[in-house]
Amino acid sequence: MNYDVVIGIEIHLELKTKTKMFSGAPYAFKSEANTCVNEIDLAFPGTLPCVNMEAVKKALEACMALHLDIDPLVKFDRKNYYYSDLPKGYQITQQFHPIGRNGYIDINVEGKTKRIRINRIHMEEDTAKQFHLFDETLIDFNRADVPLIELVSEPDMSSGLEASLYVEKLRQTLLYLDVSDVRMEEGSMRCDVNISIKPEGSDVFGTKVEIKNLNSINNIKLAIDYEANRQKEALEKGETIYQETRRFDEKTGITVSMRKKEGAVDYKYFPEPNIFPILLSDEMLNEVRNNMPELPDQKHDRYIKEYGLSDAEASTLIQNKEMSLYYDEMMKKAKNAKSALNLLMSELQGLLVKNNQNITNTKVQSESLAILSNMIEDKEISGKQAKDVLEAMLDGSDPRKIVKDRGMKQVSDEGAILSIVNAVLDENPNSIADYKGGKDRAMGFLVGQVMKKSKGQANPQMASKLVKQELDKR
Amino acid sequence: MSIDSLMNQDIKTRCNEAYEKVVAYQDKLNATITAIDPKDIDYDKLEGKLKGIPVALKDNVSTKGIKTTAASRILDNYYPVYDATIVEKLRKEGAVFVAKASMDELAMGGSNLTSMIGPCHNPYDLNRISGGSSGGSAVLVASGAVSVAIGSDTGDSVRKPAGYCGVVGVKPTYGRISRYGIIPYASSLDHVGYFTRNIKDASLVLEVLAGRDDHDMTSSFEKVDEYSKLLNSNVEGKKILVFDNVVENIREDIIINSFNNVIKGLEEKGAVIKHVRFDDKLMKALFPTYFIIANAEATANHSNLDGIRFGHRVDGNTMEEIMINTRTRGFSSFIKQRFVVGSYSLFEENQERLLKKAQRVRRLIVDEVMKELKDADCLIAPASGNVAPLIKGNKSDELAPEYLIAENHLVIGNFGGLPSLTQPMGFKDNLPFGVNITCNPFKEADMFNIALAIEEITGLKDLVKEDF
Repeated sequence: MNYDVVIGIEIHLELKTKTKMFSGAPYAFKSEANTCVNEIDLAFPGTLPCVNMEAVKKALEACMALHLDIDPLVKFDRKNYYYSDLPKGYQITQQFHPIGRNGYIDINVEGKTKRIRINRIHMEEDTAKQFHLFDETLIDFNRADVPLIELVSEPDMSSGLEASLYVEKLRQTLLYLDVSDVRMEEGSMRCDVNISIKPEGSDVFGTKVEIKNLNSINNIKLAIDYEANRQKEALEKGETIYQETRRFDEKTGITVSMRKKEGAVDYKYFPEPNIFPILLSDEMLNEVRNNMPELPDQKHDRYIKEYGLSDAEASTLIQNKEMSLYYDEMMKKAKNAKSALNLLMSELQGLLVKNNQNITNTKVQSESLAILSNMIEDKEISGKQAKDVLEAMLDGSDPRKIVKDRGMKQVSDEGAILSIVNAVLDENPNSIADYKGGKDRAMGFLVGQVMKKSKGQANPQMASKLVKQELDKR
Repeated sequence: MSIDSLMNQDIKTRCNEAYEKVVAYQDKLNATITAIDPKDIDYDKLEGKLKGIPVALKDNVSTKGIKTTAASRILDNYYPVYDATIVEKLRKEGAVFVAKASMDELAMGGSNLTSMIGPCHNPYDLNRISGGSSGGSAVLVASGAVSVAIGSDTGDSVRKPAGYCGVVGVKPTYGRISRYGIIPYASSLDHVGYFTRNIKDASLVLEVLAGRDDHDMTSSFEKVDEYSKLLNSNVEGKKILVFDNVVENIREDIIINSFNNVIKGLEEKGAVIKHVRFDDKLMKALFPTYFIIANAEATANHSNLDGIRFGHRVDGNTMEEIMINTRTRGFSSFIKQRFVVGSYSLFEENQERLLKKAQRVRRLIVDEVMKELKDADCLIAPASGNVAPLIKGNKSDELAPEYLIAENHLVIGNFGGLPSLTQPMGFKDNLPFGVNITCNPFKEADMFNIALAIEEITGLKDLVKEDF
């Protein structure tokens, strides 16, 4: 029998704010344990929460980018449960009134656009991190109260590939928004996948299994493909699928049961009395909307429309946010979009890799690279010369200065090149004879001699045109 | 003694005297959990509106480095790492703290019998309760140890004991005083309140305590008046609503007579008196509504008390066991009973017919009262139907209207966040009883003026009961 695979994904995203969600404590990832903590994070008696409006703005940006309807009345609720990583004994979240509802993101599955609906985005606070050592438990409260948003998709995906494309597209969009570091391996983006299977075309959903804490996009794909197949085999063997939480074991590539879910936990949600509802003004919402950075989809379209890049070129470029932002800067000055792209993606990138550098720490300024690109475009230097100049630019030098110091200016003055050409022809009567005798290689030799005599500065196209013209005259 | 008269004394002398009284009275009154010796105070540096005035704090007010127990075993070794906002404000205005006062465990009670150190005694009769939950604070003011004490008021926890102890008890508008650093009971009902011995002091203390605090999102931006300067007893044309539902349910003639006397006095001073009766069904719902909301919020508010990060930890083999053991041993059975009620009304299957219903009834009650109050200046009623009950054997019929209305009407001030105060009204067999006025939001200045007029009518101010 054939089966449909039904996949929904919940993503927890750490927002990139200077301070925490409700405590005002400063937060930086990888700080020493329990140093980004105040009395509020530790839930000392009498402390009260205060909403971090920067986090609200970031959540709004995420909602706007993903086309969600925004609830301008921000409310919070308490989710009650006891756990040693939850200092207050409840988590402040948005159960009843998520900040955004009913959005979507479009993914590209093998050339076709598929829309994945997003049910909701809500804000909440993170828990502390526990470390279990032998018979001791250590708790790092740095992560307690770090601002999170949770994005809940509709069950619109039907394969590991689609799921991984969805997460990748979200990751890319949120990265450009700069609302989060979106590092799955560091836990600033955490994915839980819900997966069930049903007979092809059936209206009745199968039993849902949750796979928790997948730490890379590739693992999402592997885990789902494995799990879908496991469920299929189980059903075919007549076994029952249990509602349970499983984890993906990276080494063996299989999913392993963690715990069965027996009935829903009652979290006794109720509205947080210490935070009055906050009404977001139209002014504030507009300000957030108007200050949104350009998103990858918009960039992609602009690169094609304005710069004439191909779909593939645009896609490759936006896959690297830093590269794309660098390119945008370059294009404020560069005259030829394609050659600027080539200079950046092939020449500079190659050099950076060779020198163990990258686009964020390189000393080559985007403006300098644009100038270099324009020098080629204006035929001031040749492409070959440009490579040498670029290498010299790695220490941050100005390309104009390098060209000047090295006397590298390309000569495009026809008269000057013509006199060199005639001098070379006069010195090489044998080559003229060879050329007349039908040996085309003689032509290349003569152009080479012209370039040599001009110390490489002659415009090569012009040199070769003039050599041909003078040869034909003789 | 009032703040004014204290100001004539040497600062060091009065602070030491206050501390010595706190210590000396402990045997008989049991009003203090931690006495604070002011020996390290640099008296020369004190400045402000309460310069060198000894103040007692209820033991649910966080004081950095000073034990803060909320009268619960679970916090019997808890030393806060931060000061409550009001502690900073009081200190900035020169106050000197001499005591952390007893209270009902976690402020969840009205008798002060549930403190981990045992009952607090009423200085007017040591066999009687002080009332609660801010009983220790009320008693320290009534007995003359201090002239200002901080309390907290979730149902009537400042205004009820004030009546029983013959002092002034104030609970201003919700949001008027920051709650940051006050160990909570029920966040939507909790107010910081305080005790003084006269209305002038009450108006001055609010100037110090009130104001927006960025640590408390529910605190108000509304400007703080100079209440003590605005204070006058002119009530000409003030509209005063007599709360008939309460008056009708009081059986003590002496209280009714005193109350009528106050009303007559106000009328003579030019106030316009009007009688109001609210829907009796709603008035009978005051207590159950309060009980559901307060305990539901309390259950969540106290989930942080788990022995993991602070407080009295009882060991176990796992984190979960530590939390269970700590909470099992740390709370009295009375508190656990409240948590069961709170938790029950929060269960998904019960929330609609318990918590949400209670919240709707709360809204109905507030609407019903505000319908009348918005066109008037205050609602007035005896604070309680009787004087302080005996510690032993007293059990009221909790379903009778005498209890449901006369003993619970002060909670209206908490439901609506309305400013409200209780002040002495008279004595029955040498035991004090009080009168309460409740006003419109942020009309504290008006409230103090009406209270000053009442003080002139009764002549009851600066009462001290030192011979107990």
